[in-house]
Amino acid sequence: MSKYRITVDGKTYEMDVELIGANGAAVQPVAKAAPAPVVNAPAAPATAASKPAAASTGAVTAPMPGTILKVLKASGDAVKAGDIVLILEAMKMENEITAPVDGVIGSLSLTEGSTVAGGDLLFEVK
Amino acid sequence: MDSMWQNSIDRLNSRKEAVAAAGGAERIAKQHSSGKLTARERMEALFDDGTFVELNDQISSRCSDFGMDKKKKPGDGVVTGYGYIHGRVAFASSQDFTVGGGSLGEAQAKKICQAMDKAMVMKAPFISINDSGGARIEEGIDSLTGYADIFYRNTIASGVIPQISVIMGPCAGGACYSPAITDYIFMTDYAQMYITGPAVVKSVTGEEITSSALGGAAVHSATSGVAHFVYPDDLSCLNGVRQLLGYLPQSNEDISLEVPGTAVDNSSALADIVPADSKKAYDVRNVINSIVDAGSFFEVQESFARNIVVGFARLDGETIGVIANQALYMAGSLEINASDKASRFIRFCDSFNIPLLTLVDVPAFLPGSQQEHGGIIRHGAKLLYAYSEATVPKVSLIMRKAYGGAYIAMNSKGTGADMVYAWPIAEIAVMGASGAVSIIGKKAIESAEDPKAKREELLNEYNEKFMNPYIAAEHGYVDEVILPEETRSKIAGAFKMLKTKERELPYKKHGNIPL
Repeated sequence: MSKYRITVDGKTYEMDVELIGANGAAVQPVAKAAPAPVVNAPAAPATAASKPAAASTGAVTAPMPGTILKVLKASGDAVKAGDIVLILEAMKMENEITAPVDGVIGSLSLTEGSTVAGGDLLFEVK
Repeated sequence: MDSMWQNSIDRLNSRKEAVAAAGGAERIAKQHSSGKLTARERMEALFDDGTFVELNDQISSRCSDFGMDKKKKPGDGVVTGYGYIHGRVAFASSQDFTVGGGSLGEAQAKKICQAMDKAMVMKAPFISINDSGGARIEEGIDSLTGYADIFYRNTIASGVIPQISVIMGPCAGGACYSPAITDYIFMTDYAQMYITGPAVVKSVTGEEITSSALGGAAVHSATSGVAHFVYPDDLSCLNGVRQLLGYLPQSNEDISLEVPGTAVDNSSALADIVPADSKKAYDVRNVINSIVDAGSFFEVQESFARNIVVGFARLDGETIGVIANQALYMAGSLEINASDKASRFIRFCDSFNIPLLTLVDVPAFLPGSQQEHGGIIRHGAKLLYAYSEATVPKVSLIMRKAYGGAYIAMNSKGTGADMVYAWPIAEIAVMGASGAVSIIGKKAIESAEDPKAKREELLNEYNEKFMNPYIAAEHGYVDEVILPEETRSKIAGAFKMLKTKERELPYKKHGNIPL
């Protein structure tokens, strides 16, 4: 929580300002930033985790047409968000399909070698 | 001072006070309690501290229909003026929701247009902060003409000065089209944009939908692609606008703000970030961050068409635009949304003299009826058009895959790339081995005693011969095959060499980009 005093045309307003992040937690207030100067620190290679596409629903659909290369979980398995459930070979790539949320896998009936069309339901996480 | 002076001064002061009081303490408190700043507080937050100067505070409506002459509209529901951002002048308008719901009539439009006209004459950016119920119905078609006057100016100013729209409340109906014409749209989490609101949608289609599900920030940043940046609240959002402007020139006749600093070369990390096995994914943003000045990458439209990453960065202190295939999402394929996203970014950069760095790892255009019926031909064509048309310095790095039409579309030599580098793991070919062998080896495989073994043999042969950057280098489509640890120094060197690049297109009114 920060206190701001804003003066507009001679009138002074006092405000308590708290920035709320996406998860509802308070975040640091943002200072009026100058263009970021170059800092003398190596860029930290972040982990290569993709943001889940449909995090709110738990239903995971095929992002593109392809072939199921590996099935790493089965219906009834407990998973954490980000766990790899399937590997979809498509567009010259082995694409990791991950659980969007924590939960239990359901509706997973694909086997290795199954072909899927873009938009097909792959599995759900409940 | 005689009493005539005093009376005149009192009259001016009371008029100024009326404007400063805006919609009154009650409405201002309501604006604050919903987590929003007022129109003037937003101006103070947007500009360098204490630099905002208000213009035309006395402009007011001439409308007398429906008793409008009896309703006071201080400032006519908008605050306009100029100030300084990182010490450089910029003009802005900020709709005041506390005054008549920020509704736009003839006088409000006139105020906004006067500020826009000044921005054009001064060749300075224009920022429009939107928080309005829409057209002021009482003012009828004069209100509509007000919108038209703004759209017209937005269009004429396009490519001359950077134009940024900031949506901080409702933005409905015709009001959406000014932001849509401008270069960048910022939204706060509680903003909405739609052409027709939930009530009309329900009456026409029967569909029940909330305003945020119809046109909230999440929808426009991830699904429609209308918004470029989303922030949780007013202050962080206006700071985002300041941050973006830090990368941009004042106009198409200016060069970008240079931010000197210590250059760090993180290229040695690249071989660990990008797997040599081209079937394995990685996050291309880690590649970008290792090449550009540390901490300088500012991603645009990060939630939309994530199979391509675009954004601004600095290289040796100077702004560049980065376009990169994202292997982590849809294997980095090009499709309709990615083509639209990248093309518009490329054209913005070219308009404002910002050099382009393209990082290529692309398997193909995405196949399928969904893409074909959605018009991938005309959407993909935009990418080719945008790269070919761009006269700014254009440098490519082919990291891994560069196949077929997608290879041509990603700033290839033939479409005017100035320098094309490739890593030794690059695969530059007309198509993948499996597809190619099925076509050119069809007869050989069918007539072989052991077709499976023959196919395997042909696959190996094709892979050995074509899955590398050397044919492209021998034929001059790749200028140099470089080591990963040389990446930053080679790219920075190329942009330095290209600083004096001059290339003029033949005279034309404007080209006819496939839309």
